[in-house]
Amino acid sequence: MNSNLKVNYCGIELNSPIVLLSGCVGFGEEYTRIDGFSNSDVGAVCLKGTTNEPRLGNQPHRIYETPDGMINAIGLQNPGSDFVINDILPTLDKTETKFIINISGSTIEEYGELAKKFDQTDIDAIEINISCPNVKEGGVAFGNDPDMSYRVVEICRQNTTKPLITKLSPNQTDIAYSAQRCIDAGSDGLAVINTLMGMAIDIDSRKPFIGNNQGGLSGPAIKPIALLKTHQVYQVSKKYNVPIIGQGGINSAEDAIEFIIAGATTVGVGTALFYDPLICHKINDGISDYLLRNNIKNISELVGSLQLNDFSSPCDS
Amino acid sequence: MNKSHRGSVKLEDCEIIAHKKYEADQFVLTLASDYISNNTKPGQFVHATVSEKLLMRRPISIMSVNSKENTFDLLYKVVGDGTRELSKRKVGEQISVMGPIGNGFNFDSVKRPIMIGGGVGIPPMVALAQQLNLKTQKPLAIFGSEVEFPFEMEITDKSYPFIENPATMSLLHEWGIDCLLTSNSDFQGVYKGYVTDLARDFFNTLSAEELKEVKIFACGPDMMLKAVKTLASQLNVECELSLEEFMACAIGGCAGCVVEVETETGKSMKRVCVDGPIFDANSIFQ
Repeated sequence: MNSNLKVNYCGIELNSPIVLLSGCVGFGEEYTRIDGFSNSDVGAVCLKGTTNEPRLGNQPHRIYETPDGMINAIGLQNPGSDFVINDILPTLDKTETKFIINISGSTIEEYGELAKKFDQTDIDAIEINISCPNVKEGGVAFGNDPDMSYRVVEICRQNTTKPLITKLSPNQTDIAYSAQRCIDAGSDGLAVINTLMGMAIDIDSRKPFIGNNQGGLSGPAIKPIALLKTHQVYQVSKKYNVPIIGQGGINSAEDAIEFIIAGATTVGVGTALFYDPLICHKINDGISDYLLRNNIKNISELVGSLQLNDFSSPCDS
Repeated sequence: MNKSHRGSVKLEDCEIIAHKKYEADQFVLTLASDYISNNTKPGQFVHATVSEKLLMRRPISIMSVNSKENTFDLLYKVVGDGTRELSKRKVGEQISVMGPIGNGFNFDSVKRPIMIGGGVGIPPMVALAQQLNLKTQKPLAIFGSEVEFPFEMEITDKSYPFIENPATMSLLHEWGIDCLLTSNSDFQGVYKGYVTDLARDFFNTLSAEELKEVKIFACGPDMMLKAVKTLASQLNVECELSLEEFMACAIGGCAGCVVEVETETGKSMKRVCVDGPIFDANSIFQ
């Protein structure tokens, strides 16, 4: 790995700015089935969303392809926090990369309990999922209300000293205000953005393709939205040196660089793995080449370097 | 820390060696791959990029392998945008393929494997037939289709109480495997009815002892699989079913392709891609 890709995120040294996103790579081992794929090619792996008790998740179909993207409604299927802590975390090869647990609760107290449980483990950081669009209780219901978001982050903060990252929902009016409240409550980092709510309909049966009726839209289709949200959140987070994982439709090194310029310190890759499982090599190499070409010693110099257009007078029409 | 699963699936660009069209928008695609042609278990599938126009890959069952020519065949029917784009691909072009994926059938010790395939569920059955040991196994394939069969056929001189001179799939005939065909449409030498009607008639010709040696393997539409499961249950014979579901990663990462499964500890959602696509019939469709 090229040394110019090293980045510090919430006090954790990452070998690459790439973070594999929660929900896309199971519990860290699944993609290693593919010859040539290695967790050591990414800075961190964010594990599947975990709740206190096991969850079966939603009924099929859970995914559907849409133009330049896909809708998913998995519904937080997971084996529960005790199984994750006792049976999965010990099997992960911590020498390869850093691991982040993603926690989700149906009550504020559950978030607190989960933060406390994972605080006792060797996990590198905790991502608070307050933006899952696919569960009836909790999830995005917390993320779309900045005061509730505050309370969720606050209780997690009270229960762990590990780096806390809050994954923000784009399905809300003012994501920057939400970011501010999460920082106020003690979030060390922010993940921007989770999926956008969407639907696809089978016109023959007149039913939604997705068992849950609606789901989260991801993939290149959402990239421009994710980029703008990253820019908006950065206007707040930079004041506190709270780093962002920029995510949403990243499909190439150029996409990743856009997010970094907009204010992301690290970049999340998820849906792109589904169609190009070895894309991380290309993204790493592409970012590294870009830095060399532009005489930038380290990625951190690029973070938030966006030069906004500033025309003082409107154009004549 | 067991990491034996690592690297078992290859991602490669495979050249299209042949792409043959059959009736009713059915196609057989022959692709070149040293690895897949030599490392595939019957019942496994590949996850293929069908076109630059569509991002997501499509899971397609492997129908047969040719380890001498280092090729493998896929059978598909045009049912949506993905298969339509795939049908446009030309010989000599490359397709990105990830595979082989999935658990495969448990068939080694089965004395009488009965392979039931419906429509585009036929390929895994052909893959299974190809790997049988005819010295120790006495198989029968039963293939059903409501449109013309997507393979070369020929009339045999065999005779059963329920059909004289049945038509068969030429490839299986060449391999020395009995194969009966069924349809609700009228085709020469083809039994009229559902696969389960034909299977029931065949099982009636077996003795109780012979029936104990039977294990059914099936792939096809859910309605057919449910009927096969019921039949297997009535006859008290073992049965494995191959499922399909929309897939995103196809490697176990996203849990997008699940099926509800009964386990010793209760209900569970299993991933069709890596926990399957083959499941014990008793564990699904409860």
